Amino acid sequence: MAQYGLLIDATKCTGCHACSIACSQYNELEEEVDYNRLEFVERGSFPNCAMDIVPVQCMHCDDAPCVNVCSTMATFQQEDGIVGFDPQKCTGCKACMAACPYDARALNEARLAEKCRWCPEMLQQGKQPVCSSTCMNEVRLFGDLEDPDSEINQKMAKHEVEQLRPDMGTKPRIWYIKK
Amino acid sequence: MPKMKRRSFLKASAVTAAAASVPLKMSFADYKEAAEEEEGYKIPTTCNGCSSMCGVYVHVKNDRVWRVEGHPVHLKSRGRICARGHGMAADMYNKGRVQGPMKRNANDEFEPISWEQAYKEIGEKLTETIDEHGGNSFLWLEHGVRGQRYANPLLDKIGSSNYVTHYSTCFSSKTNAWAEMVGTTLNGDHENAKYMIFEGRNFAGAIIPHGMNQITKAKENGAKIVVIDPKHSEIAKIADDWIPIKPGTDLAFRLALAHVLITEEKYDKDFVNGYVENFAEFWRENKDKSPEWAEEITGIPAEKIREVAHDLAANAPEAFIEPGWHGLHCHYVNSTQTAQMGIVVNALLGNFYKRGGLMPSADPEFGTFEHDGWSEEEKGPRADGAGVAGEHYTVEASRGIAQTVPDMIEKGRIKAAFIYHFNPLRTAPDPEYQKKIKNADLVVSINIDWNETSVYTADYILPESYYLERTEVPQAVSGHISHDYPQISLRQQVTEPLHDTKPLREIMQGITTEMGMGELYDYSLDDEIEAMLEPTGLSAEELKEKGTVELQTNKVEASFPLCPSGNPNLATSTGKIEFSADKFRADGKAGIPTWIEPKVMPDPSADDEFRLIHGKQPYHSHHVTSNNPDLIKLTKKYNGTAMWMNTKKAQKLGINDGDIVTVSSDMTEKEIDVKVTELIHPDCVWISSAYGGFSDRLETAYNLGVNYNDFIPVMVEPYSGTTMSQEVIVKVAKGGVS
Ligand code: SF4
Ligand code: SF4
Ligand code: SF4
Repeated sequence: MAQYGLLIDATKCTGCHACSIACSQYNELEEEVDYNRLEFVERGSFPNCAMDIVPVQCMHCDDAPCVNVCSTMATFQQEDGIVGFDPQKCTGCKACMAACPYDARALNEARLAEKCRWCPEMLQQGKQPVCSSTCMNEVRLFGDLEDPDSEINQKMAKHEVEQLRPDMGTKPRIWYIKK
Repeated sequence: MPKMKRRSFLKASAVTAAAASVPLKMSFADYKEAAEEEEGYKIPTTCNGCSSMCGVYVHVKNDRVWRVEGHPVHLKSRGRICARGHGMAADMYNKGRVQGPMKRNANDEFEPISWEQAYKEIGEKLTETIDEHGGNSFLWLEHGVRGQRYANPLLDKIGSSNYVTHYSTCFSSKTNAWAEMVGTTLNGDHENAKYMIFEGRNFAGAIIPHGMNQITKAKENGAKIVVIDPKHSEIAKIADDWIPIKPGTDLAFRLALAHVLITEEKYDKDFVNGYVENFAEFWRENKDKSPEWAEEITGIPAEKIREVAHDLAANAPEAFIEPGWHGLHCHYVNSTQTAQMGIVVNALLGNFYKRGGLMPSADPEFGTFEHDGWSEEEKGPRADGAGVAGEHYTVEASRGIAQTVPDMIEKGRIKAAFIYHFNPLRTAPDPEYQKKIKNADLVVSINIDWNETSVYTADYILPESYYLERTEVPQAVSGHISHDYPQISLRQQVTEPLHDTKPLREIMQGITTEMGMGELYDYSLDDEIEAMLEPTGLSAEELKEKGTVELQTNKVEASFPLCPSGNPNLATSTGKIEFSADKFRADGKAGIPTWIEPKVMPDPSADDEFRLIHGKQPYHSHHVTSNNPDLIKLTKKYNGTAMWMNTKKAQKLGINDGDIVTVSSDMTEKEIDVKVTELIHPDCVWISSAYGGFSDRLETAYNLGVNYNDFIPVMVEPYSGTTMSQEVIVKVAKGGVS
């Protein structure tokens, strides 16, 4: 069984937002809903200053607070590690939203707490999730963590990587290449 | 890695209340149900989110456009497309589209009219106008260049020389310099470069997705990226060095680069001896343009200028100043000389026709579509004066001057105008002045939506079908990035037209038939496609099925064009790169680029004076995407309408981040909120070029943000006819318009 993960090289991101809009169209998201976003952070002072951009989305945590608090199993971890969501079972209690340290969930019009599913239909076709496949700078590399020859593992081995808020103990499946 | 600021995003998005929802969207459950009901299909075509026209696949489900992905072969997308490419597909369902032909009535309101009636009335009126004032009183104004093949038959038949493009609002200073000095244009070979300068050129804002891919790949392979720009643009985000130059002074920086290369003998002498004309004259004129001289003007330390020049030389010929397009090339009175200096510095590096330097586009050989039945009338002088002795002689006649149409009408030179896929009321300077286009006897707008130009000036609006609803002739895939083999792509119809709209050829056929010139467009699109593809060996069926095809002929070579005798063979008078532009000299102007002061400068003693500069955001194509709910969603979430101001200057003026300020020039005053940031030069304020919609029929864009064109008068850059759109000083005061 493949174990999925995502390696993000935020140093290459130029903030084009193609990832988020490709995702919104693929998932037919409503106006107010987003599965992924960018965080912009300025540092330094003129003229020695720079901008960091960090793509953020559901981290598909291995120890996911949202899974732990969901009483109906609407949010659950699949065998491949992806944290799935079944809208049929969701009661809209919002416990998962409160529990998620990454603000990765969004209420839709039906008041259900949707989230990124890592595009299962694309994975079935052997493709990358749509946010990854459209990224012109190849910031997002999705792949199988179990397979030692996978591109993601090879790239991971070449760089120092880190996770967002490891202090939360959620064991995210998204890694970021360190500067 | 910065710590993620929890909630920062949600806070920002709370402000973004309701914008019109796109009918494209269904809820997730609806979609799932729909997907189970019916299998979708995908069709290869080309994007129209910007003029790169990336190859895409459009997925359709339940007869609705669902989503878009990049075409894996097309060299501009290679499977990856930008936010605009995704978002603009949904605009097919935009409420702002004109849903059928319209006529302005006596009450100054638009009422529907049948195509037949519109053709008849327009045909009659145009015939009358030509009979009375001659064919040269007709103007065809368009973004360029897609409509030209359907404009030409009419222009030739009636004898009008007035084909005008938007280029003077965009990049004519560059194309003019290259045409005169090189006789062609070349592109950066980003993938193989070791050192790239992007000066006033935001490649990550005016995106070519695969171009960006090549740039980031080169960077991973160790290439150095230097960005020279008063604003920390998106391309600066991945630069090794961001050098914030005083806006308007890039010419001085480039002159100083040449100075270092020449005085320190770091230029490619063999290349200059073999392939450059007028080097000695150039040097005579510019001996005094030292880094110290440029430091005074640009604010860039002389040592930094030397460092850049040394790095360029050390990496040459796999080093270049990116030739660019919009950025710098319609912005200042010295834009033509700035473009000329781009050529000079690159030539000193000897990077022309070199891998990792500048390379030509690979172009397919298309057949031409010949049809009989029209004679060419003698044409009068151009109404905009482009190329006309005693008027704008040095401006390229093939591009023209888009911003002075009201003047052409006022002078009685133009009586009837067709405006195709262009919105000068919002994308050319001084909209109040542009509104006078209405004074022509006949104005026909062939546009998709209720844009400002249609609403304020058109007598008739003849809506073209959306790009996903129409098929066009094959296109060569080339320009701005480098690739060895030519590619051909096809834009083709993905779904049935939603509204009563037509492709351009049919519209032209309808009108000209009423004028008794039906033979002009009496052919089918298939005839055209077949004729064009003939020499390529490619069949229409194959192209339709594949969308984009790469040919294995006409490979570009990294070698300077030579005649059989071995002499340089560029399309210039000497066959060499000419450091002096003959045409400029013939007009009594300077052929050799040298320093020209910007037209205006902010008063250094006045803290509230700034140069107003503008640029592209990666999720908008100037104003054309501004009514798209998906893209405006990004604008609102990320505060894209805010004006950038340097922190220290803001402190002096007591302005805080998010404050509302009043910005005023001689032309107007407007309210806008401010983003206070370290990431911009203190001499200027920056706004995105996307906003300031004033057509109330485009709900999403209406009254959202401000546009730089409101602040600038109509001006004509003396060499290339551009708008000089950053030659404007604004005053900024805290608080709203009083
Ligand atoms: S990021 Fe949030 S929504 Fe995603 S798995 Fe972790 S806790 Fe759940
Ligand atoms: S698509 Fe890639 S470059 Fe664009 S914003 Fe997303 S991660 Fe960044
Ligand atoms: S760069 Fe973006 S908007 Fe332009 S053609 Fe390509 S996908 Fe479309």
